[in-house]
Amino acid sequence: MHTTMGSKDNGTLRSDAEAPTRRANMQTKLSHSPEQQTGQAAGTTAFVVSAYANANANTSLEKSKSASTAGAMLIWDLPLRLFHWLLVGAVTVAAITGFLAPEWWLDVHSWAGYTIGFLVIFRVLWGLWGTFYARFRSFIFPVDETLAHLRALAQKKPGHYKGHNPAGALMVFTLLGTLIALTVSGLIILGGQENIGVLAGYVSFATGSGAVEFHEILAFGLLGLIGAHLVGVLIESLLSRENLVRAMIDGRKSVSPVHAQSCVGHADTSAVNQRELPPAKRVWARAISTVLMVLLAGSGAAWALLKTPPNGYVAMPANKTYASECGDCHQAYHPSLLPGSSWKKLMAGLEDHFGEDASLDDESAKEVYAFLRRYASDKWDSEAANNLRQVATKNPITITATPYWQRRHKDIGKSVFAQKRSAPKAIVLPATKMR
Amino acid sequence: MKSWNGVSAVLAVLYLSFVLTPAPAAAGPAQDQILKHYQDLAGADVTFSADRGKEFFMAKHTGGKPKSPSCTSCHTKSPLKSGRTHANKKIAPMALSKTKDRYSELKKVKKWFRRNCRSVLGRECSPQEKGDFLVYMMGQ
Ligand code: HEC
Ligand code: HEC
Repeated sequence: MHTTMGSKDNGTLRSDAEAPTRRANMQTKLSHSPEQQTGQAAGTTAFVVSAYANANANTSLEKSKSASTAGAMLIWDLPLRLFHWLLVGAVTVAAITGFLAPEWWLDVHSWAGYTIGFLVIFRVLWGLWGTFYARFRSFIFPVDETLAHLRALAQKKPGHYKGHNPAGALMVFTLLGTLIALTVSGLIILGGQENIGVLAGYVSFATGSGAVEFHEILAFGLLGLIGAHLVGVLIESLLSRENLVRAMIDGRKSVSPVHAQSCVGHADTSAVNQRELPPAKRVWARAISTVLMVLLAGSGAAWALLKTPPNGYVAMPANKTYASECGDCHQAYHPSLLPGSSWKKLMAGLEDHFGEDASLDDESAKEVYAFLRRYASDKWDSEAANNLRQVATKNPITITATPYWQRRHKDIGKSVFAQKRSAPKAIVLPATKMR
Repeated sequence: MKSWNGVSAVLAVLYLSFVLTPAPAAAGPAQDQILKHYQDLAGADVTFSADRGKEFFMAKHTGGKPKSPSCTSCHTKSPLKSGRTHANKKIAPMALSKTKDRYSELKKVKKWFRRNCRSVLGRECSPQEKGDFLVYMMGQ
């Protein structure tokens, strides 16, 4: 059955056969050499069912019509539908946490992002080797056909497509592209600004910050696209008198008598339908191996990428002298919280240190100062170091006086800090170890 | 039955009194060394006094930083309780019985006497003040 593969001619033939949009001419071709096409079409045996016994039946429009009136037909396979609704869920979570929630929801937002990335990769692969209507090949339309469809749509008489119509196809590709760009820019921000995630080792803080605007524009763009998608589904549902939302739930699209005439590329016999949607078992086997593949490749890539330590992090061994000499009255602040120039000033005034005597013997003072200078914020590209690098001109030795700290705490009432038992004001990072 | 109850009551009381009685402050060799250091500075004719130490610890002084008029500003009035710094960090109790590694490192003791005496009194404490304080805390 799958004997001839890979010749150029077959390639053209195949794409013709695969696109449900091609008309009668396609049907004759189909009946000529069904075997070659199928072998190519699925690219593997799994999806090819020996369905061609009555392939010549396709030449008769009458026959196809009677077959289509038979009722609803499975168009969207279950993995595709699961993908669709999981994506809806993940995008909803990402949108809510991204647009509305405060920053400490970043974890949830990131995980929604990872999920979206995973789903989109799955969808791309499924578009290559999923079932017939899930494949990109079945809904890549030439420009003139797309324009014709849009024109017909404007006249409220769009042609009917079993799978995606050209407008819907355009939406699918735009959505997928936007989601890919969103996921990648999200990873860049996460890696650059927060120094977490798979790109932490490769992206500088400045690059991460630069990606923020891009990510935001894309996010608003996505909102617009989702709106357009919903409107499109609604219009298409009304015009074709078919509930397309339900179709994405049970996978079935009815091929009703009303539009069977205008139905483009309908070559329905149950046999051909079987070719388009092979038995569920095979679909599942393919889908699950695709998922496993993505997970495996994904974790492999993550493992390889995470081996690089975070970009701009410095290997900082804990310093005992610093921890004890500067950690008795408050926690020993992380050296990256102030620039070297500030530490210099601070160390010069230990006799009157915030109204207290924090003087040190010369030897300890020397060691502490060397440590602070060596790991001061100038030496780091972490989020804290970048944000706190700009100190208050009048009060350069106070972390809590930096413009960034002030901005981030302006909504916290004075009473909170005045509480006797409240924690010390400045944040402290753990000592970092290089992996 | 009754007599057994009586016996266990007596045993319980004995046990509790054993557990609850504060162990006598055990100044180890490290603490003795430090005391000797200040004894040498103060001179052989001075005898350190825990009572004077307590008085010094509790008193309000002048000449230091406004936030810290007394040792008790940070260490609280009870040596058995933990205190707090002005930056709000917990300070373990000063009594040797509560914090076993107190007064065991001369460098640390010197550093804090220097800092705290300057903060509270605006000057270094005398060897006798330091010795009195140590004797008081080691006996707590
Ligand atoms: C004797 C107690 C004491 C010691 C020892 C001490 N500090 Fe402080 N430090 C303070 C107090 C009190 C403040 C005021 C902070 C507050 O109100 O929480 C402060 C504040 C600071 C701040 C500003 C924190 C902020 O809120 O922005 C820095 C930085 C700092 N200390 C660094 C050091 C360093 C470095 C050392 C070691 C050389 C040191 N401190 C040792 C008592 C101390
Ligand atoms: C501004 C707060 C503050 C005041 C006031 C203060 N202390 Fe302290 N003191 C500390 C801190 C903080 C430590 C070190 C924390 C620790 O060892 O647990 C300390 C430690 C000490 C130590 C060293 C203890 C050891 O384990 O070696 C001595 C001795 C001491 N203080 C004596 C005094 C005396 C005497 C006074 C009054 C003159 C005084 N302190 C007042 C904050 C204070």
